[in-house]
Amino acid sequence: MHVEQFEWSKPKGWSSRGTVDNADLVLYFGSREGLACGARYRELREMLPRAHILGCSTGGQIRNHDITDDEVVAAALKFEATPLRLACEQVKVPESSRACGEAIGRALHAPDLAGVFVLSDGLNVNGSELVAGIAGVVGRKIPLTGGLAGDGAKFEETVVGANCAPRSRTVAAVGFYGNAVRIGHGSAGGWDEFGPRRHITKSRGNVLLELDGKPALDLYERYLGEEDIKGLPGTALLFPLRIRDPERPDHDIVRTVLAVDREARSMTFAGDMPQGWVGQLMRGNFDRLSAGAGNAAQQACAKLGERGKSAEIAVLVSCIGRRLLMGQHVADEIEAAGAEIGTDVPRLGFYSYGEISPHSASGVCELHNQTMTVTTITEAVGGLG
Amino acid sequence: MNKLFVRQLEKARGSTGEVDLDALGRLVSAEYEQTAVDRRRTDRSISQMIEELDQLNRELEGVVKERTGQLRQREQEFHAALENMSQGLIMFDASARVVVCNERYMQMYALSPEVAQPGHTLRELIDHRLANGTFAGDADQYTEELRAGIARDDTSRLITELADGRTISVVNRRMANGGWVATHEDITERRDAEKKIAHMARHDVVTDLPNRVLLRERLGEALASVKRGARLGVLYVDLDRFKAVNDTLGHPVGDELLRMVAQRLRGCVRQTDTIARVGGDEFAIIQADIEGPQCTSQLAARICDAIRAPYEIDGHTAIVDASIGISLSPDDSVEPDTLIKNADMALYRVKAEGRGTYRFFEPEMDARMHARRKLELALRSALANREFEVHYQPIVNLADNTIASCEALMRWNHPDLGMIPPSEFIPLAEEIGLIVQLGEWIIRQACNDAMQWPEHTRVAVNLSPIQVMSTNLMPVVVNALAASGLSPGRLELEITEAVLMQNTEATIATLHRLRNLGVHITMDDFGTGYSSLSYLRSFPFEKIKIDRSFVKGMDSGEESEAIVRAVAGLAQNLRMTTTAEGVETERQMEQVRTLGCTEMQGFLFSPPVRVRDVDRLFAMERRSQAGAA
Repeated sequence: MHVEQFEWSKPKGWSSRGTVDNADLVLYFGSREGLACGARYRELREMLPRAHILGCSTGGQIRNHDITDDEVVAAALKFEATPLRLACEQVKVPESSRACGEAIGRALHAPDLAGVFVLSDGLNVNGSELVAGIAGVVGRKIPLTGGLAGDGAKFEETVVGANCAPRSRTVAAVGFYGNAVRIGHGSAGGWDEFGPRRHITKSRGNVLLELDGKPALDLYERYLGEEDIKGLPGTALLFPLRIRDPERPDHDIVRTVLAVDREARSMTFAGDMPQGWVGQLMRGNFDRLSAGAGNAAQQACAKLGERGKSAEIAVLVSCIGRRLLMGQHVADEIEAAGAEIGTDVPRLGFYSYGEISPHSASGVCELHNQTMTVTTITEAVGGLG
Repeated sequence: MNKLFVRQLEKARGSTGEVDLDALGRLVSAEYEQTAVDRRRTDRSISQMIEELDQLNRELEGVVKERTGQLRQREQEFHAALENMSQGLIMFDASARVVVCNERYMQMYALSPEVAQPGHTLRELIDHRLANGTFAGDADQYTEELRAGIARDDTSRLITELADGRTISVVNRRMANGGWVATHEDITERRDAEKKIAHMARHDVVTDLPNRVLLRERLGEALASVKRGARLGVLYVDLDRFKAVNDTLGHPVGDELLRMVAQRLRGCVRQTDTIARVGGDEFAIIQADIEGPQCTSQLAARICDAIRAPYEIDGHTAIVDASIGISLSPDDSVEPDTLIKNADMALYRVKAEGRGTYRFFEPEMDARMHARRKLELALRSALANREFEVHYQPIVNLADNTIASCEALMRWNHPDLGMIPPSEFIPLAEEIGLIVQLGEWIIRQACNDAMQWPEHTRVAVNLSPIQVMSTNLMPVVVNALAASGLSPGRLELEITEAVLMQNTEATIATLHRLRNLGVHITMDDFGTGYSSLSYLRSFPFEKIKIDRSFVKGMDSGEESEAIVRAVAGLAQNLRMTTTAEGVETERQMEQVRTLGCTEMQGFLFSPPVRVRDVDRLFAMERRSQAGAA
């Protein structure tokens, strides 16, 4: 397996034409404005005509230890013995998210499927349903990682493209096949519980209406104050909501806000907000969030380490909420993850509206929020032969 | 240097390696700004959280206060309920240790609060109860069985008898936590009452002897266990003249008499025999396992003797006799009901044939009983079927040989059985209560018939004791006179001594009312009963009829003659008419005339005849008077 990183910036264009001429897969991430025109895709296609080209808009791009907003970052991957397959679906309404996931799952399902990396629209998809749809078809044991595309802190439109110019309302995934490829994954938050526990007393799917019988938006506005209310829904990410089923108290999930409805006083989250579950606000401490990112990277490497291999590329998907909170300190978490992965391993990623990874405790693939998720990929050819 | 500042410096460094101060300033300024925003946000959120937690805390405090109050109230209610229970209650946990126990429980078993306090074991309580005498039995066995019962059933019940005689009902209910609640109720009184009720249902209140129900049961049992070759006797004992004792001396004396009779009966029988009171003055005895009828007849004789001895009660002396009917098993039957029926039938025969003795059942008694029942049915329909007739027997004035009056005598002409004598159907009519109706009918008939007779002749009608006691006698007489138009002075009503023996005051009053109406009252069959002169004094009779036995007796002895003379003399002094009954010969007629009787009645002049023959007698009399004139 061979990996080459390159990037595009407005003044300089693409840094490299890509020495991996016959790359199998290109992953690329950029701002919505930078990708939506389709020029970057066309340039990549021209450079690497054989490769599957998969990318999405973000809330900031990660390239090794750098975080940029104006560059487009990319990595070309050449596999020695791992067939790939690409699937792409359109999601017309969020309610069809599960059906979309099932369609992707069907397109990728095969006995030798070894893992799936998925990129999804970040605003028009119920991520929980999408993940459940894919996992339901390919099986819960297949590692399913990836993330929801971002749009900076604007929450207006996200785009995803797979072998085409990136578009809105798109879900795309690449499947890795065969027994050579190794995929590791890790996910961690590092957030601190904050304030009293609350009950979800009224919700509809991923729309939260009431906590403890009071409008959910009232609570957030009270905590944010006038200064931050103007920044909604982005500022709501400063106080993510951790939820759990009272019947399974050890299995908790962090949810992040995608949109608010000031009229209905409701908030739309990236995943389901089941009525009757318990919720608790969280707040971040820079050090512990960075430690969380390190923890995720450690998990992802440990998974590969079990098989005596180290990563050849690490894909980092971290939540936009973490970046909004940490500001310039966000580089700390990228550094913490890099330290675990190894600074010689190419690291590529983006700030997302939702992360997809198996749950660290249960192993069940889920949509996460406010986490750092790390996917490590390597190939074990020859070494095993 | 600060890690972030190093990064900022790096970022502000241009391609030539020189630091762009403006760029660095922007980065540093942005960080300052961000930090300030963060600080404000943190302050705000923390104070918000404190406020929220404080509010929650206040709410919780309120809830705790409210719940504590509710809890305290519930506790008080629970305590009140617990202490106001009539049952003792004790709750144990899964390890058989006391959780709670009420005052009543402690009282029941004389336990101190220290002994019954929470934490003490069931076994400790039992040991205390063993020591204070409120537990009888094996403590190990008791606790073992109790625990096993609770493990097995949701609810287990047991009844324990305490050493001091109390009966306690215990209900154990298992609880979800493996413990149990036991309620203890002192049911001694209820048990006693139940026993008493059960006893009363099967015993006679007055004598405490078994009643008919228990008799029937005991007889069934006794019959089932009669040994091969042995017999069983059922004796039905009826007290003769008990009713008179009851009526004259009152119920308390009557009851005492029954108790004394019961005592005497107990003295006559063996321990294994059963004595029962089966009716007002009826007793029954089961004589189990006897060798032969002679055993029963010996017992019956013993009973007759024992009962016959006088009774001294509250200064009164009472004398009763016993009539006894006997049936034997297996001779007469092996069925309890049949044996009882047969003994009763035998008793009926004894009573019909002159009391004071005993009789064994005989199969023809049954046949007779059937015949009697058939007669009873026929009698009930006879009046409607116009099967009765009135015959008249003239009573002749001995001074002028004219018919003074005619005695109305009822005849029953049954279409199949022919003429049935009054001696057969009158007692039956009395027994079944038909006598009042028959009496009413004959009075009306006699009054109507007498209207056809010469004006100086009267008609005499017999009244039975039951008729005299019946409240409608006056209206019947008044109506019959009114309907027929007969003058009251032409009606004679004949009563026997038996009438005066019963309910004397009311009877005398009735007789006076009839007499005031103008009706004549006659003392019939004088000399056959007690012949007490006090009867003659108790009411101013107009006539005495001397019983036929005296008239008949005059032929064979002087005794009867003396009696007839005495009665006639007495009547003369009391200004009463005397009628000699049963005069059949000229000699008897001359004798009674000589002895002072004023009238005679008998076959010599005429037997009882149909009404048309009475008319003929009057016609003859008219002709002979005309001839004499």
